[in-house]
Amino acid sequence: MPSNHHSFLPSTRREFLRTSGKGIGLLAFSQFAPSFLVQSTLAASPAPEKDRTILVLVQLAGGNDGLNTLIPFEDENYYRLRPTLGLPKEQALRMSDTLGLHPSCAAMHGLFNDGKLAVVQNVGYPNPNRSHFRSAEIWETASNSEEFLGTGWVGRFMDNACAGAPADSHDPIAVHITNGLPQSFLGAEGHSTFGMQPTGGSRRESEENRKLLEAMAAAPAGAGPGNASFLKHTLMDALVTEKKVQRVLGDYRPGTPYPPNAFANSLRNVAALIAAGLPTRVYFVSLSGFDTHSNQLTQQANLLTQLSEGLAAFQKDLAAHKLDDQVTTMTFSEFGRRPSENESRGTDHGTAAPLFIMGSKVKGGLHGTPPSLNLERNQDIEFSTDFRQVYATMLDSWLSCPSETVLGGEFDPLPVV
Amino acid sequence: MQLALPPADAWQPLPAAEWNADAARHLLRRAGWTAQPAAVERALSEGLPATLDRLFPREPSLLPKPKMIERAEQEAPIYAQKVRTLSGDERRAAERMARERSQMAVQDLAIKWLQFAAQPDTSGFAKWVLFLSDVYVVSAEKVRNMPFVYQHFDVLARHGLGPAPELTKAVSRSPAMVLYLDLNGSQRRAPNENFARELFELFVLGEGNYTEADIKEAARAFTGYRAQVLFGGFRYVPNQHDDGEKTIFDQTGKFTGDDVIDLAYRQNAASTFLPREMAKFYLGDSPLPAEYLDPLGAEWRKNNHDLRTLVHQFFGSRLFFAPEFRGGFIKSPVQFYLGLVQDLGLDIAPLPRFTLNPMRQMGQLLFHPPNVRGWLGGRSWINSATLAARRQLVETLFTAIEEKNLNADELIDLVAARTNGSENFTVTEQHFLSTLAQLAPAEQAERLVRTFLGESVAAEFTASLRQFIASPSPGPFQEFRRLKRAAVALLQSPEYQLC
Repeated sequence: MPSNHHSFLPSTRREFLRTSGKGIGLLAFSQFAPSFLVQSTLAASPAPEKDRTILVLVQLAGGNDGLNTLIPFEDENYYRLRPTLGLPKEQALRMSDTLGLHPSCAAMHGLFNDGKLAVVQNVGYPNPNRSHFRSAEIWETASNSEEFLGTGWVGRFMDNACAGAPADSHDPIAVHITNGLPQSFLGAEGHSTFGMQPTGGSRRESEENRKLLEAMAAAPAGAGPGNASFLKHTLMDALVTEKKVQRVLGDYRPGTPYPPNAFANSLRNVAALIAAGLPTRVYFVSLSGFDTHSNQLTQQANLLTQLSEGLAAFQKDLAAHKLDDQVTTMTFSEFGRRPSENESRGTDHGTAAPLFIMGSKVKGGLHGTPPSLNLERNQDIEFSTDFRQVYATMLDSWLSCPSETVLGGEFDPLPVV
Repeated sequence: MQLALPPADAWQPLPAAEWNADAARHLLRRAGWTAQPAAVERALSEGLPATLDRLFPREPSLLPKPKMIERAEQEAPIYAQKVRTLSGDERRAAERMARERSQMAVQDLAIKWLQFAAQPDTSGFAKWVLFLSDVYVVSAEKVRNMPFVYQHFDVLARHGLGPAPELTKAVSRSPAMVLYLDLNGSQRRAPNENFARELFELFVLGEGNYTEADIKEAARAFTGYRAQVLFGGFRYVPNQHDDGEKTIFDQTGKFTGDDVIDLAYRQNAASTFLPREMAKFYLGDSPLPAEYLDPLGAEWRKNNHDLRTLVHQFFGSRLFFAPEFRGGFIKSPVQFYLGLVQDLGLDIAPLPRFTLNPMRQMGQLLFHPPNVRGWLGGRSWINSATLAARRQLVETLFTAIEEKNLNADELIDLVAARTNGSENFTVTEQHFLSTLAQLAPAEQAERLVRTFLGESVAAEFTASLRQFIASPSPGPFQEFRRLKRAAVALLQSPEYQLC
């Protein structure tokens, strides 16, 4: 990096006080200095950092095929509906007398045997929608199929949990490692959230970007009704968080190697941020490509390998850092897929599917009931557990937030955590 | 808000001598989305009146009905019939199909609208319709019938530059509005006041310029208005209409809905209500003092509340170009997005995930305003999450779409769009470097600033960009990378969020 792009923004309060003491001075850049720094320096009272429970959401984007993830190997209907895609009984990684995991999920199977992996079967919602966009929206906003909500369920959690949070709490309450802000994160109030790109190799670029933006944002604001300095303040706040995050990620020493792929790297970064003691309550990562309309066998096998190995490395890493008691990880997908396979050795958009909940505080094993596969060709599965029951469980039992206010109704929790 | 300009001069036409590049940029950005150097040159050579004619033409082009809307329209009666005659699972299946179709239709409509609005020749008019839709608010969320939502915007466009009372009357018959403000359930014996209240409060007069009694009486005049899928939209049901005498604004008569709208426009407050909303939408949050609004309102009333005359006077006035209004306006997400698309010479990808998700993340999903007041605008657009979404959008537009991450239906749409000749969904090296590569680093920074910001930004701003671009960069690939990074940061900067 060119030396004239040195960064002058401190990323911690202490560093800030030190640099101000060294003569850079508060006033030298107080006009656009991050508002939290100015406020907290004036108040000189550090915000308490707390050890709280953390939820990691893993999105399986595209609609993961549930029947080939959790294989009902004793059900002849399964093989009737899936003449070419049905996975043979002997390949299934046994979880019970009738159900087994996809053969690519060996690492997850290990977690299952250790009692750290719960499978909630047949999760969905009434009147299912088969559009990716809309069904993802239903899952992320936790709405009814007929209802359109402008806020996400994590956003409403933040609205509830973070009301009255100190004004200088600039650290993100929710972090996503996805290409855009998840709809789940939209709240009625603006909350401090933070996002990163999932693809690796762009650290230099993001650092360059941050430094250049810092330099630009430090340029004097033009005329106008103060909107320029307002924007500069907001941006500087974000850049300070970014800088802190980048430092944390760079310094992190995982307790176990992660597989070399973007998804595992996302989880590694989540572990790094958790280990750094950020007050973040919810993390969101994504693995995409599950829309297996054709040649499903190889595609899904690759993806489930990434999922399984990534999750297992993450859990092992957390345990190595003694953080596993604090973290629960949960997968979700916008829909499962049609039980009957299509003509291209794939499956089309369907309805309910199993999801995974992982953690050392999780009550491992199989939860809920499996779907009935006594179906006509192209008929869909009828869900048996509402996804909002899973959310309610996470909110009430894990995040200690009254689920009714977030979900707008009562949903029976599951005995999972 | 303090203005140097005396109220008497405020609405005089801008003197020709003051029509310069800065003024043209101001007009193009505030009336449309952005001001590319070529568009500024064209505006300068044609002059202000001709530019206004182009932005707000006598016969504006309209958004053609999207195919999905057409299909939804044809299918709506079929589904309505099914829902009426079937029962149990079959009925639920029909309801579900109808919902799914309608959802696809609103996504398609939003993308088609953005594509329409992104064309330079329709930008000014599209933004005007967006403004009107922020006054005459309906939400797809409540209306649910997407052909009606399309029809509502069509009504706003068709009447948007005509006499305002005609626009308001057309809106009162817009099926989407009939549903949104509950006229549909308003009966002779039980009039619903929702529409009448918003007509006075949010469409024509503003709060404090009517009584509760006026609302109650007006509500009676709008009974019998129905939105019906099977009859292709609006239907007036005489036997549900209360044709008795009403007393509104101290006048008594057997007023119809249209009469009430005419009565409302005869109130003094009508003259300044819409101009005030315009000032807020186009000039910024600080309210324009009454001594400025009054003369504009008086003039508008004299012109029988003709909207095109109002628009031409507003955007051609000395006040619009006053230094107090230059810069410092926070772009809405729609303007930010469409401005980027125009500034970068891009096509809008027909993929909801790439096009509509960013809009939602930035806080402005078309056809889904937060409530009957519409979007708040100004600083409410900006918080840590929405600013991050804006930065993310810029990155996304500079990153090639990875087809392997697309869902199957997205891939189909993408291929179809390419077949139709749109393919510049993201910035490519060749496209981006074509004008910049030959320049020296210092000139590259100036060029980027001039292209995307255009006016006097702080010297420090350009200097930091220049330094960044000039720092060692081995090889041509590195040059592109650095220029790209410079452009990305510039478009993410606070300066680019403003116009």
